[in-house]
Amino acid sequence: MRNLIDFLVRHFSWFVFLFYLVISCFLLFQNNPYQQYVYLTSANNVSASTYKAVSNVTSYFDLQSINQDLHERNALLEMEVINLKRQLNDYKILNTTDTLALPDSVASNFTYHFATVINNSISKTMNYITIDKGEVDGIEPEMGVVDQNGVVGIVSVVSKNAARVISLLNPNMRLSCKVKNSDSFGSMIWDGKSPYYAILEEMPRHIKYMKGDTIVTSGYSSVFPAGLIVGTIDEVDKSRDDNFYSLKVKLSTDFTRLGTVRAIKSNMADELKTIESEN
Amino acid sequence: MSKQILNFIFLYIILLLAQVLICNNVCLFNIATPFVFLFFIIRLPIQISVNWMMTICFFAGWVVDIFSDTQGMNALACLVMGASRGKILDLYVPRRDEITNPIPSMKSLGIGVYLKYMLTMVLLFCLIITFVEAFTLKNFWLSMLRAVGSTLFTFVLLLGIDGLVNTKNEKRL
Repeated sequence: MRNLIDFLVRHFSWFVFLFYLVISCFLLFQNNPYQQYVYLTSANNVSASTYKAVSNVTSYFDLQSINQDLHERNALLEMEVINLKRQLNDYKILNTTDTLALPDSVASNFTYHFATVINNSISKTMNYITIDKGEVDGIEPEMGVVDQNGVVGIVSVVSKNAARVISLLNPNMRLSCKVKNSDSFGSMIWDGKSPYYAILEEMPRHIKYMKGDTIVTSGYSSVFPAGLIVGTIDEVDKSRDDNFYSLKVKLSTDFTRLGTVRAIKSNMADELKTIESEN
Repeated sequence: MSKQILNFIFLYIILLLAQVLICNNVCLFNIATPFVFLFFIIRLPIQISVNWMMTICFFAGWVVDIFSDTQGMNALACLVMGASRGKILDLYVPRRDEITNPIPSMKSLGIGVYLKYMLTMVLLFCLIITFVEAFTLKNFWLSMLRAVGSTLFTFVLLLGIDGLVNTKNEKRL
């Protein structure tokens, strides 16, 4: 017995070391990005308010370029509105007798919440974004996040006044995408190299892909509505197993300067989930 | 004594803010990220027992983890760094009882020894954090380059901070 106690006392620092080692390894390898303690992420009160205070100052730096982006986007949307109005008019003339109205379920499927990015990283292996809106403002886990240029990420951890978003630049995030105007879809994943590019995997081989084709969200998950721009094809590669192509996609979102983002809430997400779980 | 503790807490908060608000966003040539908060660990007094050393290092790293969403990475690297500090000092300082001032600095250890001690500690930290972050040996040489790049960058910054923190009666480089 004395020997045992002697042993414990002599090697006490090894036990302390092992104790902390186990804690840090536990933190490292709890692999579920959605279920973590709020206190241990950047969405907790202290770090969120620190980042908020600094972001109040630094958010002014990028205003010019963000404004430029918004102008361009605005012009694009205006064009679209004009085009759609013209089309609508044409159709109205075509079937004046038919009272064709959009069903409510399609029109009011998604609601938006605006938020400001208060912390953002692009240089790590797993990148996260912190936004300044939380539970109080209606943000929930697994909401999609987009900015004026394209897809940004998915909300993972929500506290009262802040939330942490898994950036698209994170290997934990897979995004179902397709080539615009075709039905072939694959899943997009970041390869950890450049914040401007990601890889779209598992694309069927019988379709021709051209450099510059637009990649949009497929809408197969309830997180993002279909047709949101993700990026454009930059390079076509054969995958290792040769059954699929993998495409190098130039992301339309500039992760180096994120300002205001929108969190998308799908009103049908819960409904879809219950239906899918019934199978 | 309590004044010294307050000084250390103040130093840690300043370094923490510098780390999470500025240095985490820096990535020189996509290779080197500075870790300025290591200065806090390097300056911890020599006579602290190894258990306390590990405890302080672990929590110092953990707080940085919480801010930068890295979940245990910095804590692990800091822990190993704190645990092996005694051994590193033994490497360079033959007779530890001759040191009068317990806080490692250029004056108390001598310029050469202090720089070697600092470089070894930082290199150890950067190696661990780079390989834990990558968690694969696939891009071994890229990871190696990143570790060495971060070490050099951090080392240069720490020298600068050393110059700022040292009071007038201490030696400078």
